Amino acid sequence: MPLRYEDLNNEVRRISLSGRLDTVGSEEIADELASLSASANRGVVVDLSQVTFLSSMGIRALIAAAKARQANGGRMVLLVDGSDVVVRTLEATGVGELIPVYDDEGDAESAARA
Amino acid sequence: MTGSVRQARAELTIRADSREARRASAWLESAAAREGVPPDQVVRLDHCLDEALANVISHGGPDAVSASVMLQLGIHRGRGICTAELLIVDEGLPFDPSVLPAGPAPRPASLADASIGGLGLAMIRSFSDELRYRRQDGCNHLAILVSWTETT
Repeated sequence: MPLRYEDLNNEVRRISLSGRLDTVGSEEIADELASLSASANRGVVVDLSQVTFLSSMGIRALIAAAKARQANGGRMVLLVDGSDVVVRTLEATGVGELIPVYDDEGDAESAARA
Repeated sequence: MTGSVRQARAELTIRADSREARRASAWLESAAAREGVPPDQVVRLDHCLDEALANVISHGGPDAVSASVMLQLGIHRGRGICTAELLIVDEGLPFDPSVLPAGPAPRPASLADASIGGLGLAMIRSFSDELRYRRQDGCNHLAILVSWTETT
């Protein structure tokens, strides 16, 4: 499943993306990602640690979801596996400066709850 | 359309359609592996390919979308430096991504300011070592080059 989610408590929704978020893959999950992010109770962690490829379309989807979350008064943060190409994509596009990025699950959840 | 990659080793023609982009990626991975391109270099080319095809599909205009896109992969090895060249030829509106200013793209100051434009080009520029563009016979010819050192 390219997108799964669970509500960890009343405060944090963790949305896990996986596989290839190329142009096609990103289009397939964009609407659901935005909708789940907007409807979360408070904070959202988007877990990218199982994502093998992140395109600019994937980043657009993340930005749209973060804006939707922010519009409803909460925060969205990203959780990554620190060593891989997803991090490079985030750095190349400067998205890490707009949406907080963490490589530790606990830190990500605390930040989302803040 | 004719390509001109020096020492072209593989070629593929696809429709300008986002589902074809996956077929193109699979072609690139297998052709590059056959030529001994290291996996981390294939990843760079794969990202550039996805972004370049997305640009053709969304910005190339009706001529791009109704026509085919030709891909060629060439490898050059010499003096310990290897270069893989991915050539993308499309019939869309003229667009030269190699003329953007060098260096990092301007960063939006906040999420509210962030727009969706320009990210794909920022990625192509970040993941490639060189871009070469020419317009010929009504087609865009974009060559994306990545290089690495290889001990023989």
